[in-house]
Amino acid sequence: MTSAFLGELRRILGAAAVLQEPLDLLTYECDGLLHLRGTPAAVVLPGSTAEVQAVVRLCARNGVPFVPRGHGTGLSGGAVPVSGSVVIALSRFNRVLDVDIPNQRATVQPGVTNLEITRAVAPFGYYYAPDPSSQQVCSIGGNVAENSGGAHCLKYGFTVHHVLEVEAVLPDGTIVHLGGPLADTPGPDLLGLVVCSEGTLAVVTSVTVRILRRPETVQTLLAAFDTIDAGGAVVSDLIGGGIIPAAVEMMDALAIRAVEAAVHPGFPPADTVLIVELDGPATEVRALFEIVEETCRARGATTVEVAQSDERRARIWRGRKAAFAAMGRVSPNYYVQDGVVPRTRLPEVLNRIRLLEARSGLRIGNVFHAGDGNLHPLICYDERVAGQADKAAEVAAEILSYCLDAGGSLTGEHGIGIDKACSMPKMFTDDDLALMQRVRAAFDPQGLCNPDKVFPTPRLCGEVPGPYRRHPVEQAGLAERF
Amino acid sequence: MLIEPETAEAVAAALKQASDARQSVAIRGASTKRDWGRNTAEADVTLGTRRLHRVLAHPHGDLTTTVEAGAPLGDVNRALAGHGQWLPLDPPFGDRATIGGILATNDSGPLRHRYGTPRDQVIGVRLATTDGTLAKAGGQVVKNVAGYDLSKLVCGSFGALAVIVSATFKLAPVWKASKTIVATPAGAEVLGRLVGAMMGSQLEPVAFEVRADAADYETRTMALLVRFASLPSVVDAQIDHARALLGASDTPVQVHEDDGERALWFQHGERLWTASGAIVRASWLPARIADVLAEIARAHPHGRLEMIGRAAVGTGLIRIDADPSTQAAVIERLRRSTTVGNVVLMRGPAELKSLVDVWGPSGDRQALLESVKRAFDPHGMLNAGRGPL
Repeated sequence: MTSAFLGELRRILGAAAVLQEPLDLLTYECDGLLHLRGTPAAVVLPGSTAEVQAVVRLCARNGVPFVPRGHGTGLSGGAVPVSGSVVIALSRFNRVLDVDIPNQRATVQPGVTNLEITRAVAPFGYYYAPDPSSQQVCSIGGNVAENSGGAHCLKYGFTVHHVLEVEAVLPDGTIVHLGGPLADTPGPDLLGLVVCSEGTLAVVTSVTVRILRRPETVQTLLAAFDTIDAGGAVVSDLIGGGIIPAAVEMMDALAIRAVEAAVHPGFPPADTVLIVELDGPATEVRALFEIVEETCRARGATTVEVAQSDERRARIWRGRKAAFAAMGRVSPNYYVQDGVVPRTRLPEVLNRIRLLEARSGLRIGNVFHAGDGNLHPLICYDERVAGQADKAAEVAAEILSYCLDAGGSLTGEHGIGIDKACSMPKMFTDDDLALMQRVRAAFDPQGLCNPDKVFPTPRLCGEVPGPYRRHPVEQAGLAERF
Repeated sequence: MLIEPETAEAVAAALKQASDARQSVAIRGASTKRDWGRNTAEADVTLGTRRLHRVLAHPHGDLTTTVEAGAPLGDVNRALAGHGQWLPLDPPFGDRATIGGILATNDSGPLRHRYGTPRDQVIGVRLATTDGTLAKAGGQVVKNVAGYDLSKLVCGSFGALAVIVSATFKLAPVWKASKTIVATPAGAEVLGRLVGAMMGSQLEPVAFEVRADAADYETRTMALLVRFASLPSVVDAQIDHARALLGASDTPVQVHEDDGERALWFQHGERLWTASGAIVRASWLPARIADVLAEIARAHPHGRLEMIGRAAVGTGLIRIDADPSTQAAVIERLRRSTTVGNVVLMRGPAELKSLVDVWGPSGDRQALLESVKRAFDPHGMLNAGRGPL
């Protein structure tokens, strides 16, 4: 990067909003997936859409790659800078611009966190539905890039179902509005394409989301089972029987032990626990909840606890949402995988994981969104033991192959990023990927917007992906992972 | 020339052949929307999808299905009903309209209130492009963020990007029971207040419709239709709640069930399309419905205008029964209005389509749309000119 280019960045943004000292750049080397790193040439902190536009235009003119970044909580290396790039950090875009209760929507800047949207509308009895486990810290801009879901996406859908409009800066610096304040913008669904494009098509600078009225009633149940199959059978019975709960989560013995040690949610010491939440009109929740309870008992639940207070329900959810972070209590290191299988193939795939666990000698905890078949195996290892880190990576890759064998997906919510770019050919043919690349080139002919993500490249795929490593701040017990 | 391939591979081959010969191609499903879009010259090749009509998979435990594009929605739902499931879409001509046509136009009906449009329900797609390749995007599972979701992109494309050969959808369980409450408020202001009250309530209807026509506007008869579906006891409780809410301020309400309810919704879905006149789609902010009704009434004070819309989504269809120049004037007036937007002429006589821009302006997206079109169809031969790109 030339000094003239840096000078131009400073002229656009002011010197304070351009970082280039090695120590300042450290923060931006990785996202939530700490083993994938890259050092940018500079980090910019624009404060307005016009500034983002000016930076992008400058990059486009000079052929400099740029990487949009929210709060860096992603788990696939989607915000890792390529060398020589400019990171466009949107942390100063942190204002709620408009709350429109009568029309049930809110417009926010991309650096606003997921939970801040709900906080802004909660006094009116509304909430923003997608609830990724990291919702306290992740940005809505990142949610748009990744199409984030969360425990409640089973009933309420993903980010793509809740975004009405985005303002975005295209890789040539053009500002576009996709979707719109009114329904049915004519033409192909460009908004639906940009959501889930992992920041490779545009830099989103404003997001309008739909907000929902709080449901009349919420009821949560915690059931314990002797086998993971019994828990899985309950899920199949419910969904096959036409009941779509707001959320259905499962955790196995190792994960239960870990969260009990970490946040004491009061889970029974069982092989499997199932959390089922129903919400909606009181009469409906009451009627369906009886069926859920009966189904749990019919499938041999050893205990069934219905949360009797909001506080108890919050504690149950805290147990579930802290599961990744809690693995540190039972293992020095762990590797989080994110794969999807068709719901009916869950028992079969879980059995294969159990066999793999026995064969590999590494313990595997299982936490998953059972309602939609989204698995999060947590592969435990000790990096001090020679070869274990590599072994964990191999195990993680093998689990992904089980998901694809069953007709599933490489990722349900963490994204492809850099982490899984080299696995894309296992799920998609060359023709599939070529068409997606054509779409990318239609937005970004120079290939400058968040390069090396989503698609396999020879440079990228010569390297072997590494396992998860704890951040020094985490090791010191000062922060935890969501 | 009409081609009706029986396989996805044959669709791709036919597209390539036409593209190599620089022949224009029009895609045809069940022809239920033949009179939508811009006037176009007849294409060199018409590619009919009616032989691609199979349900390829219905793993009912997974609540998903994969179907070929030429399958009529009615046939698909009859096949899914065996396991108590369905694809909850109710666009116009919903029995005959094909999956491919419904996706390409992203068309929907009253159930959009609860289930969204086709783009909200599609989870994967297989496309044939003009270079003769078959490419898929999305997947077979309900939760998946691997790669670009081109299944969303083709929604609303009007067949101008690629031929959809098959698609995978998430499904819903068939309702155990349903009932509908119809309220006939005295005037637009009362109706507007009731829409606000319904939206602010914790009721969870599957459909929430507003209906009015210009003549009725004067005589102050317009209607809200609210449909509830769930277990029988739940439906009754919701109806009771809705009756109290809508019946406030002396608004007459009536509850429809069983055959009467089914007939009500059938007629509601058909009434615009079986009558004469141009049909325009327009959108608005839901809280402005009273202003919207007033605007529509003013747009053509002496003629017949009829409107049916999704009250909480803020979108609807307006039928304009008049001569083409009057229809054109109404459309231009609606386009100048600040209360409605995205005004698109859906169905209309060729003369009207020569008088007004069918799709309206595409704002700051125009260059991007053209670029995306070129990426898929560099020679501009696929459904050219008819749709919004």
